[in-house]
Amino acid sequence: MSLPSDVDVLVLGGGPAGMSAALAAHGRGASVLLVDERPTLGGQVYKQPSPGIDLVEPRALGRQARAGRELVERVAASAVVTSLGTELVAASGWGGDEGGQAVLVVGRRDQVTVRARRLVVAAGAHDRPVVFPGWTLPGVMTAGGVQSLAKTQLMVPAGRVVFAGSGPVALAFPAQLARLGADVVTVLEAGPRPGVLDLLRLVAAAPGNLDVLVDAAGYLGAILRRRVPVHHGRKVVRAEGDGRLERVVHCAVDESWRPVPGTERVEAADLLCLGYGFQPSVELARLLGCAIDEEEDLGGPVVRRDPWTRTSVTGVYAAGDGAGVEGVWVARDEGRLAGLAAVVDLGLVTRRAVRAEASRARARIARRRRLREATARLYRVGAGIDEAATPETIVCRCESVRQGELDRAIAASADPNVVKALTRAGMGPCQGRSCGRHVQAALARAHHVPRGELPAVTARIPLRPVPLGALADRSVTSPGLFLADGDGPR
Amino acid sequence: MSQGAERRWLAASHTSGPLPEETDVLVVGGGIAGAATAYYLARSGVEVLLVERGELNREASGTNAGSLHLQLAIHQFSGHGTAADEQRLLGDLRASVEAFDFWRGLDEELGESVDLHVTGGWMVAERPEELETLRAKLALEERAGLETHLVTGAQLRDVAPFFSDSVLGATYCPAEGNANPLVVAPLFARRAVELGAEVRTGAAVLGIERGPGRTGDRFVVRTSRGTVRAHRVVDCAGAWSGHVAAMVGLRFPVRHEGLHVNVTDPRPPLLPAMVQHIGRRLTLKQASNGSFIIGGGWPAPWTGEGVRPPTVWSSAAGNTAVALDVVPELARANVVRTWSGVIVFTDDFAPVVGESHAVPGFFACVASTGFTFGPLYARRLADLMVGGGLPFPDSYSLDRVRDA
Repeated sequence: MSLPSDVDVLVLGGGPAGMSAALAAHGRGASVLLVDERPTLGGQVYKQPSPGIDLVEPRALGRQARAGRELVERVAASAVVTSLGTELVAASGWGGDEGGQAVLVVGRRDQVTVRARRLVVAAGAHDRPVVFPGWTLPGVMTAGGVQSLAKTQLMVPAGRVVFAGSGPVALAFPAQLARLGADVVTVLEAGPRPGVLDLLRLVAAAPGNLDVLVDAAGYLGAILRRRVPVHHGRKVVRAEGDGRLERVVHCAVDESWRPVPGTERVEAADLLCLGYGFQPSVELARLLGCAIDEEEDLGGPVVRRDPWTRTSVTGVYAAGDGAGVEGVWVARDEGRLAGLAAVVDLGLVTRRAVRAEASRARARIARRRRLREATARLYRVGAGIDEAATPETIVCRCESVRQGELDRAIAASADPNVVKALTRAGMGPCQGRSCGRHVQAALARAHHVPRGELPAVTARIPLRPVPLGALADRSVTSPGLFLADGDGPR
Repeated sequence: MSQGAERRWLAASHTSGPLPEETDVLVVGGGIAGAATAYYLARSGVEVLLVERGELNREASGTNAGSLHLQLAIHQFSGHGTAADEQRLLGDLRASVEAFDFWRGLDEELGESVDLHVTGGWMVAERPEELETLRAKLALEERAGLETHLVTGAQLRDVAPFFSDSVLGATYCPAEGNANPLVVAPLFARRAVELGAEVRTGAAVLGIERGPGRTGDRFVVRTSRGTVRAHRVVDCAGAWSGHVAAMVGLRFPVRHEGLHVNVTDPRPPLLPAMVQHIGRRLTLKQASNGSFIIGGGWPAPWTGEGVRPPTVWSSAAGNTAVALDVVPELARANVVRTWSGVIVFTDDFAPVVGESHAVPGFFACVASTGFTFGPLYARRLADLMVGGGLPFPDSYSLDRVRDA
């Protein structure tokens, strides 16, 4: 497959934000290339069945899945050029009005450098990794992982499932699993049981959000009907078993999600499914030099943007959960805003021409935000979530670094880059996506620094592992001898 | 990382105290040269204070790939042929022979492992003229007493089946290997402190004034953490050694460049020894965890002081292409990470080590390939400073730009 080498707008990410951005920009006359590393469009939330699996009865899907399928079909029917199985591994030259370049690896085999005048980063989010003794045991999975298997392969876990998490996903996900026939024996929601005030806040935020609330009620009903015990204010303490998960130990937590002594309970389980929310995938934004802020309620690192989703780097826009986790509906509207902003900034249309559509998108986003704010008390992640490791607990599974080692390095330095060098935590294939936030929390705690004020670990290419055979390029000439006429500084 | 790793670095409490008001020797720079200089001076009972503007071991000493380079390599050649540079190259090789013994004794000296692996090292040639360079360098290595062998043809395919057919021949030096760059300088610093040295991080040298001389302290050094009077100053600032030297009116023939390193995911054992190229920029080795580390001096663009140079795609693509030409099996490995470091070069390829004649009491220990040679030169410099040891050759002089 040959890709265009030069486009107006490059969109990274084929989820709701990326697809909306691509359609919005393309609809206003821009040439658009949409890339995603997965084999199908949809991203995580609109994840489609794997190629080769045909849905016999798409109408049997939930409302959200149908909305996703409809969006995917609109992109497929448009002239947006889509490249799937495509990883964006490097980017350079961004920051000016002419745009920059991105290196794509297609099918883990071919590298292509694309010039684009505008870049929309819609990289999505990944499950927030949570470290506790036993979290690396087989049988412990993230909600996203289990959900992926269900959505792409129609696989449902066998055996007793314990779900531990918090937030909307802790309601929706066990319900979806139970509907599919999984044996969900316990749901542990770390947040508090909703009180009267919470319900009043929800009612106040309800106008315009009824669809979401109806869905939520449906999930709750499904859980109640199946008599799945839901425990509020409890979290997983450790996972135990000989070579694989056999037992989950959980306990009551205080409002900071720290354990309440004497409340531990042991529960037999075959699968522990973790859903403590999501974390924006900001690697590309960070590599590009976009300003990043820390906002725990939005998943941690969030990309700083103006009302048009412009980042601090000229020509680069960020939309959806990859910029700050706010869910699928906000993602779709942010994507739309990003696509519109890109074509306005390119001079293809006037700002006036898109004003009405942008205003509607912003109004919908504001409405969804009211709902999020209404549930903030219930769903706020407590600091105790990052404090469950013991000295023997593996914190970086790529490099097998344990908490004790990490603590000793943290005693030597408050600089995340030094701690990385001393311990190797974050140097493996995942490049710190799994351990980075845990390490950051430990550093912040030990040195009494707000985590947002810690320097970031230096971002490096490639953003995804690249087969060396695809990376190597013989057309790049080797520099020769190391002579003094080099242009290095003195 | 191996057991006991945490015993190899200093806790922050050791490097954060107030700056002493005076010291006999002030070492500027917390890389491998500075840490080793402080260690060897402290071992001889000299009062020594090391200041580092950032954190220890964060520049070239901690960001190189840990290779111990003993055979002559591309970065030592001026392009005028080995005959034109014969004396300098022979001097380098004699230092290589000494460095080999030095590194083999380092675990015992420091009482802790520096993860030294003597693996041997290859230097490959892909073109006939490169093969001629290998033969010429082999002759010099024999004269200097560094054991190296030239292997070609069927014999090469036999002992090194991982090389591609494009490799016409290669020299093999059994003494080459690697050590852990994340460990060596921090361990030297830790041992120096245990012997009474003081170490202060976050202390940038802002200016050096020359004091009254003879009886009192000869230097008043202004740092970002206060002023310290020193009888002697040792410039171990590597890439930035020229800035420090300029504070006392000296000009060093040094420059620095950013350089690029690639790392792959762990793979089954393939390469027992390090691999370098005599005509193209390549160093390649397989770490003990199975990862391939691929470097060799590809550029990382310098974007300004205080900023680690970004790694760029062209260097990753070009560097790995050389590696792939030499070892085709690498095609299956995945590059998971790149990093950049800094390297200091001298315009005349010789290190800057010794005491200045123009500014008595001002010393320096600056070497390209400083991971291999820095601690060795530091030991010799410390010997000289306590009244023993042999002087360094004139070609290492701190005053050579002024004298020229």
